[in-house]
Amino acid sequence: MAENENVTAKKPRVRPIVRLGIFLISHSNYVSLICFVSGIVALLLLPILAKNTYVSENALMPGSANNMLSTHHVSHANKFINDLTDSDIESHKIIAHYMSALDAEVTYHKFYPQLNQFHPLHFFTSPDSGLVSKNISCSSLGINVAGIIRAPRGDGKEAIVLVTPYNPKKVGPGEALSLGIAYSVFSLLSRVTWLAKDVIWLVADSQYGEYSAVAAWLREYQAPAFHEADIVNSEICNDSNAINELGQNAYSDRKLYGGFRRAGTMAAALVIKVAEQGNHHEDSLNIYPEASNGQMPNLDLINIVNYLGVHKQGLRIKVTKMFSLLGSRWLNTLGGIFESLGQIARSLNPEWKFGISATEYVEGAATLASSLYYQGLGVPTGPHGAFRDYQVDAITLEISPKVSPTKMIRRNEFILLGGRLIEGVIRSVNNLLEKFHQSFFLYLLTSSSKFVSVGVYMIPFALLVAPLPILAASLHADASKSTPQSTSSTEVDVSHKSWKWLNAARKVLVIHLWGAIVSLLPYFLYQIPNSTPTTNFTVWGILSAFSLLILYFISASPIFEAAPSQPEKGEWASLKSVTISTAFIGLSLMSVINFATAEIGALLIVPICLLARPLKLDIRARSLRALLRATCNLVLGFIALPPVAYALTKGAFEGFYGTNVGDYWNWVESLWTWNSATYLYVGIVHLPCWALCIHILFHPC
Amino acid sequence: MGFQILNFLKPSMKVLVVILLLIFLTNISHSVAYSSSSETTMHTNNWAVLVCTSRFWFNYRHMANTLSLYRTVKRLGIPDERIILMLADDMACNARNKYPAQVFNNENHKLNLYGDNVEVDYRGYEVNVENFMRVLTGRHDTAVPRSKRLLSDEGSHILLYMTGHGGDEFLKFQDSEELQSHDLADVVKQMKEKHRFKELLIMVDTCQASTLFSQLHSPGVLAIGSSMKGQNSYSHHLDSDVGVSVVDRFTFYTLAFFERLNIYDNASLSSLFNSYNPNLLMSTAYYRMDLYQRHLEEVPVTNFFGSVMKTIHTDSAYRSRSNKNFGGAKIKMPLYQSSYDNERRILKNSDDEAQFNKLSTEEHFHGVGQLWNTILSKVNTFQSIDAFVCYGLVSMLPLLTVSTWLSL
Repeated sequence: MAENENVTAKKPRVRPIVRLGIFLISHSNYVSLICFVSGIVALLLLPILAKNTYVSENALMPGSANNMLSTHHVSHANKFINDLTDSDIESHKIIAHYMSALDAEVTYHKFYPQLNQFHPLHFFTSPDSGLVSKNISCSSLGINVAGIIRAPRGDGKEAIVLVTPYNPKKVGPGEALSLGIAYSVFSLLSRVTWLAKDVIWLVADSQYGEYSAVAAWLREYQAPAFHEADIVNSEICNDSNAINELGQNAYSDRKLYGGFRRAGTMAAALVIKVAEQGNHHEDSLNIYPEASNGQMPNLDLINIVNYLGVHKQGLRIKVTKMFSLLGSRWLNTLGGIFESLGQIARSLNPEWKFGISATEYVEGAATLASSLYYQGLGVPTGPHGAFRDYQVDAITLEISPKVSPTKMIRRNEFILLGGRLIEGVIRSVNNLLEKFHQSFFLYLLTSSSKFVSVGVYMIPFALLVAPLPILAASLHADASKSTPQSTSSTEVDVSHKSWKWLNAARKVLVIHLWGAIVSLLPYFLYQIPNSTPTTNFTVWGILSAFSLLILYFISASPIFEAAPSQPEKGEWASLKSVTISTAFIGLSLMSVINFATAEIGALLIVPICLLARPLKLDIRARSLRALLRATCNLVLGFIALPPVAYALTKGAFEGFYGTNVGDYWNWVESLWTWNSATYLYVGIVHLPCWALCIHILFHPC
Repeated sequence: MGFQILNFLKPSMKVLVVILLLIFLTNISHSVAYSSSSETTMHTNNWAVLVCTSRFWFNYRHMANTLSLYRTVKRLGIPDERIILMLADDMACNARNKYPAQVFNNENHKLNLYGDNVEVDYRGYEVNVENFMRVLTGRHDTAVPRSKRLLSDEGSHILLYMTGHGGDEFLKFQDSEELQSHDLADVVKQMKEKHRFKELLIMVDTCQASTLFSQLHSPGVLAIGSSMKGQNSYSHHLDSDVGVSVVDRFTFYTLAFFERLNIYDNASLSSLFNSYNPNLLMSTAYYRMDLYQRHLEEVPVTNFFGSVMKTIHTDSAYRSRSNKNFGGAKIKMPLYQSSYDNERRILKNSDDEAQFNKLSTEEHFHGVGQLWNTILSKVNTFQSIDAFVCYGLVSMLPLLTVSTWLSL
């Protein structure tokens, strides 16, 4: 305060914003505390701040038209299912036959399964094509069947895609039902006069994974690679007999075409699945919207599905939630508190209606947590994720029947229900004139009909990271002030000060370099044959520690150390200042790429960044406060270690059963397989910041 | 004119004189204007400009509105060459239309509005503010065909119907332009100055339609809108077969009113305006009549929505010999009348007269006694001496024939 007054006394005309900045920096401790706490509170308030969804695009008009799908179509679909499950002929031929019987254009798309390989330079680039291993035999070829209905009076520039993944080796009852639903809709659409967009039904061969089949088809559709096509059609693997057979036998398919057929730009894609397990209460519908790197489809797509499901078909719409959170006591208590606060507010002024009931709050919070988690993970939650890579809005709809599909009596009724929902969604999307653009792309769901938009969910994150630059500035100011007390020569002092800051920056840079090396290590580890996840993880950990030690000694060696070798008093402060700055930059950058990751990352790394202080100092102080701080630091430092953080989150959400060391490796492997930016964040931002914080904790001052 | 003279005189005159002169001149100019345009000119013909300003499939109802009005005015007698139909989009051929090449305004699908003989003058992207203003003001490129022009004169009654999406003092055209209330007022003023209409009825079915009329100040303009400021205009019902709303409430009830009418009905404009029930409309229909001189009770709706198509014989070079007597009576009477109401009555009378004329020539061959009765009844209703004399002369004819037959 005294300096502040001095400053104002000397220069009475300091601009208010500068004065505010100085005020914040001089009270950085309180400011950090207030910001951090309010950030957490704001995060907990998000389920209350969620708004109801609404169909924003006028053109969609969901549910304005009567359903045209009748029992006639359903009985045809039933026949199709029976043929598919009972027949001996290869299933893709049956599907192609049925499709062409509806006057659809049918094509086979053959593809090789994509190998799970880590390509460190392929982050943020379009999915690569043409990386086919040489030793794949013809038997491992996947065959997608795609049927296209041309809109009778449409311009052929747009298309709607229906996807049903199925495994031809073993067609499960759920998969057969989903194919049946798609077939019933497809047979209806082949006869209607109101189509303005072409309809593509893709039956994706899921024996090598649903995602890779859809991704392969999309790659061929959007970015054809001609050399790959040659390989597929080469003599060795050319099972043209499949096509020839179809052309010659009783199924005379004039419409079957050897090449790849396309329709227009995809307006939307729906992946239809039927859950194998019965739900026992009522028919329900699960929506999976998350695509890679936390990208979401336009909210309008979810809105129309939700609207049609709830109001037209009487389905129960569900979005995944963290079930473990539902029973958690602290969340229920919190919900109770918010509920009573809302009631008090309402008694004060009936106009205020922000309170929601405790159960609603808990449900919302659990859904929000799962929404954050799956977005943060950056791994698509279904085959729809492949579409998002081409900026096509897509969702996976998983319909869970009341009883399991194997012993379903009222199969027709179920097909009718699912088919009508899909028909409604397609008719609504068919009305669309432009790409989905009216509604939100950046949102978190708190239920199928409630969302938190970007403007609201930015607030907790902003509050969480706001203390970082303030504290960094304050530490920097303190560190540069503390030096002149011993020396008198100002010139040397100035150069010394600037050098000290650079020294800390150099250290931080080296540690971040280490982070980059650690994130590249799995690429080499992956080359080791016959390795289990546990050994891989152990080797990775050892190598990381080893490389850290090497770098540490190199950077600590006198070649680089121009300054006196004994550690300075304020050195840790300037190191912390630079660490915090880089953490801030890293988190801010990450919030642009994948907001949810940045949010979760900020929750983990910000406390340790703010609190980090050499343990020696705290022990020397020997006050209760200092000891408490030291303990907090140790605990937070332990929690923020990525594998520990992973294990804790997993334990919190899924339970601790069967957690072993290899899980972390598997998790990391899945991250890089899906090109998730979260992996880069953990390797290049989180891990180095954590290491620097630990370094500060054990700083010899 | 008056103002120019005033400006010229101003520097040299005293203020009082100037003011007196101003009052005098304005009075004169007003009376001149009125007497020249609205009072003395006859209602010669009817025109209709029907505009649908919005495109896209979900605005199906706007096109259906306009086509319904088109059908109605055509049914009530305005011929196609006097209807300018502007449709911003083609719903009939939209790929989303379940019934290709058909447009309905009711879910019962009884009436296809897009049947034969629909002449769309401006379609698609031709419907924009510029073309709209050109049509009304008549400032066309020379290449524009006559069918796309509003060739009205100073005796024309024009119906201007517009539907689309509007807001406070504007109407949206094609999702890209706006027609503001100032623009509309300016266009109407230009039309007035160019003697392009005698009376103009502007009917608008949009949200906040009444705001569009706020700047109008040309005499002879009657305006009705579907909603007040701050109100929305709603669609009437959804056709769940086609999958869109097919008609707006205001237009629906307007059509319901006209469906009960035929070309000879004399329902007045006030009965049309009073037929709008705010509860059914879900908005308050607003009409502005302070610029309109006549009483609405006395104006039949067919003055705007139909066509009088009355043959009026003027003192022109093409004077017909056979109708000379009666025609002279017809044209002279209104000129001596100061009130239009009287004029209308007289016109009606002369109508009757013509009818009688026809009757008398026909019944001449049937029976003399019957004819005599008719003549008596008709004569009682006439004040005109000329007519009386004529009928007297005509009645002499049978006497003459009887007397010649007797003498033979």
